[in-house]
Amino acid sequence: MDDKVDTAPRDGYYGAPNQPLPRSDSVHDAGDAAEPVATSRDRDMPVRPGWKGPTYYGRSQLKAAPFDPWIVGGYIFLAGMSGSSAVLSNLAELMRGKRAEAVGRRSRYLSMAALTLGSVLLIIDLDTPQRFYNMFRIAKRTSPMSIGTWILTSLMPFAGVGVLAQLGADLFKIEGLNKLARIGFAPAALSGAGLSTYTASLLSATSTPYWAAQPKELAMRFAASSVASGAAALTLGAKSDANRRTLETISAAALVVELAATAMSHKTVKAKGVGESLKSDWAKTEEVAALGFGVLLPLGIYAATRLRGRTPTAANDLAALATLVGSAMLRVSTLGIGDDSASRPEVSLRFSQPENLPRSRRR
Amino acid sequence: MNVHPRARDYPKSSLGEMIPNESELTAGVKIEPGKQYGFFTDTTVCIGCKACEVACKEWNNLPADNVGLTGHSYDNTGALSANTWRHVNFIEQSSIQALGGQDLGGQDLGGKSVRDNDQAPFQSGWLMMSDVCKHCHHAPCMEACPTGALFKTEFDTVVVQQDICNGCGYCVPACPFGVVDVSKADGKAHKCTLCYDRLKGGLEPACAKSCPTDSIQFGELSDLQARAKRRVDELHARGVHTAYTYGTPDSPGATGDMKYLNAFFLLTDRPEAYNLPAAPTRPSNRVAPALVAGLATLGGLALAAVALLAGSSEGARHGR
Repeated sequence: MDDKVDTAPRDGYYGAPNQPLPRSDSVHDAGDAAEPVATSRDRDMPVRPGWKGPTYYGRSQLKAAPFDPWIVGGYIFLAGMSGSSAVLSNLAELMRGKRAEAVGRRSRYLSMAALTLGSVLLIIDLDTPQRFYNMFRIAKRTSPMSIGTWILTSLMPFAGVGVLAQLGADLFKIEGLNKLARIGFAPAALSGAGLSTYTASLLSATSTPYWAAQPKELAMRFAASSVASGAAALTLGAKSDANRRTLETISAAALVVELAATAMSHKTVKAKGVGESLKSDWAKTEEVAALGFGVLLPLGIYAATRLRGRTPTAANDLAALATLVGSAMLRVSTLGIGDDSASRPEVSLRFSQPENLPRSRRR
Repeated sequence: MNVHPRARDYPKSSLGEMIPNESELTAGVKIEPGKQYGFFTDTTVCIGCKACEVACKEWNNLPADNVGLTGHSYDNTGALSANTWRHVNFIEQSSIQALGGQDLGGQDLGGKSVRDNDQAPFQSGWLMMSDVCKHCHHAPCMEACPTGALFKTEFDTVVVQQDICNGCGYCVPACPFGVVDVSKADGKAHKCTLCYDRLKGGLEPACAKSCPTDSIQFGELSDLQARAKRRVDELHARGVHTAYTYGTPDSPGATGDMKYLNAFFLLTDRPEAYNLPAAPTRPSNRVAPALVAGLATLGGLALAAVALLAGSSEGARHGR
């Protein structure tokens, strides 16, 4: 390419993000000074709720992801829950040895079941599912879907060894197999950490405004929700009060982090001009199902049961179930809000204003 | 217009065989692997004839999306899709805003009609633009594709390999321009190939060849960018001060690490009026921040878990 080509902006036309917009002399400047069209010059102006300038007959500027929110959201939930439960059970077995054996056992079965179901969901969501194996042709670091494919694949053998050895130990009461199950499953903690977090980058590394506006905040929410759901899943059916209590505390701590990350996420989304997407139906679903039912309810139950005594009750099981449902609904509604934001031009055109460019990449 | 000397070798309108390097005769450029090719779409000379849409559909055997009327302008195509790889936008300078009582700047028109605009006489208030896949230098769709179905060709264009694509659909939200689409008919992603097959055969892309006003120009990228600059200067000299390029280096459309677009445009109104993002960004730059933030959160909670697991089971170590 000829680098000598001078396409540098000059006065009088919209040549660069910092240049005035076309027709600014004839039309824009004649407007109400308090309500200018959002440009990079308005960086000090209050954030506008949506794009007030031209749209193309209100038609979408972007295409929404063709993912089914329920199927892909379900996968993201299962990946987060199984990944985080693998991390937590390995830590529990590391710290508490034999006393946490039951936690490890449940985690191994849970991981394998969730991974199998999750993989099926991923393949179902493909439009040409018989070619799912083409995912294994390449590994690409710019594509979180490729990264995720390999994280999921790397978890399979460890979960497989873990669950097979566990099955042998449980059925034939062979003591050595318990150890094999634990050691074989240990590397799953690393893959599990990746599996419960990469899904936020899967969404953020797109042009969908609601996801692209908040890579860090979305990642914090997803990671915290993964840990909360992983811990909650392990408390279900737990017999040991000590382990159950600790797992509940971990789950509650993760829910508090999720709550904080939710507040940060909403703030960032509004600051980037994507706040309109928080008024969609999916956003209301998220508020009720993910935040109210999935975070506040379990936190309340945990607080109440702690105050009243230490024995796990049916309420604790309800708290764990609510956490799981909430974690799933967070992912489903995040996909829904994102699709909504992509299909609304006033949101996407507002998001793609120069003021939202990363500082180092204004050009 | 200059006629290429080689054109005299083919006086008949019907030919028995393909003309070698036909693009030299029709677009003044020889198509060779290893060079960068693209489109320069000069919207100031577009007359909205949609010959590009028809030529594209005919050459690529693409079915019609919709035979109804959109009801808002002469644009009854609507949008780029799996079956529509060229799409002519029709922007009536005041009528759109008249729907909301506002002009392009978001100002109240005070009840003025379409005809009462302050447009320069050229184009009578209509803007037309033939939209197409931008064949981005850092193509977000290609960076997102987990199968490698999307690839950069030897002509520096971006193409979906139909025998590889498994319809995951991740390229669709990755595209900052809303171009790529998955077809429900065959479950594969489709978009403009910049006529990859024609380029291989030494032919200019169908849309550019059919364009009667040369609004769509095909050529080597550096040559097109120089041509665009000359055209912008010429328009400025003629008093069209709003002319600018979209998608050349350091211009709107080439923001956020996108570098430049192989298919770029000359526009005379804000990008948004043409349904283009003013400052698109490269999505893959968000992979690392999201991964790091997620792993940091998980790491913090894992550390808290370790502390909790150690704290309340001091006696457990004896049990090992």
